[in-house]
Amino acid sequence: MKRLSVVVAGTGQIRDVEIQPGTTAGDILNQLGLKDYLLSKGPNDPFFANAESVFDKVNDGEKIFASTKAEVGERLLCA
Amino acid sequence: MRLKDLGTRPAPATIRSLLSRIVRGHGPTVPVERREVPYWQERGWTRSGNKYTGTYQTQYGAFWGEIIEHRGDDIDFFLYQPSGEIRQHSHWACFQDRSSDWFLIHMGRRPKDVSSGILAIERLITEAFES
Repeated sequence: MKRLSVVVAGTGQIRDVEIQPGTTAGDILNQLGLKDYLLSKGPNDPFFANAESVFDKVNDGEKIFASTKAEVGERLLCA
Repeated sequence: MRLKDLGTRPAPATIRSLLSRIVRGHGPTVPVERREVPYWQERGWTRSGNKYTGTYQTQYGAFWGEIIEHRGDDIDFFLYQPSGEIRQHSHWACFQDRSSDWFLIHMGRRPKDVSSGILAIERLITEAFES
């Protein structure tokens, strides 16, 4: 079991969760009711895929971010 | 005689300090409250009306930016003087020159809040330096 603090980027609200081995990013977002959000460890790390297991990639007590989906435009769309 | 009494002497200060802490015990636990602030505020951005000013911060440097929040979840993200690394990134075409070294960043998938946009741009800048 690991404890995580999920910071909702837009509001700064912190949601504490406990996860077990095999818990995916999607499980956490569903549990917290954060539809259309993505989880990441921060701006220097990629987003977790929804089906990706988070347990092995985070430390107990770590703070991770939930942010709404955002991407700088695809090259073809921008050109 | 196997033992010789040499008298007494004061214990070293470090041992006296340790013993006194043990006798006194620990002080009461002081709970430290967590700051629950939006990411833009945590990163030091300031807001004036619908305009935010601050820096996109990465391990490779901080880059001046401005953000204008329009009505209806429409948010414009600007970057000042993008570095050579950013200009060589595959998404450079998504940066529109707005003169005076300011560039508007076209978001293919628009964030619903300012903080999520800052995170996305910081991630892109990091990518640019690592690619």
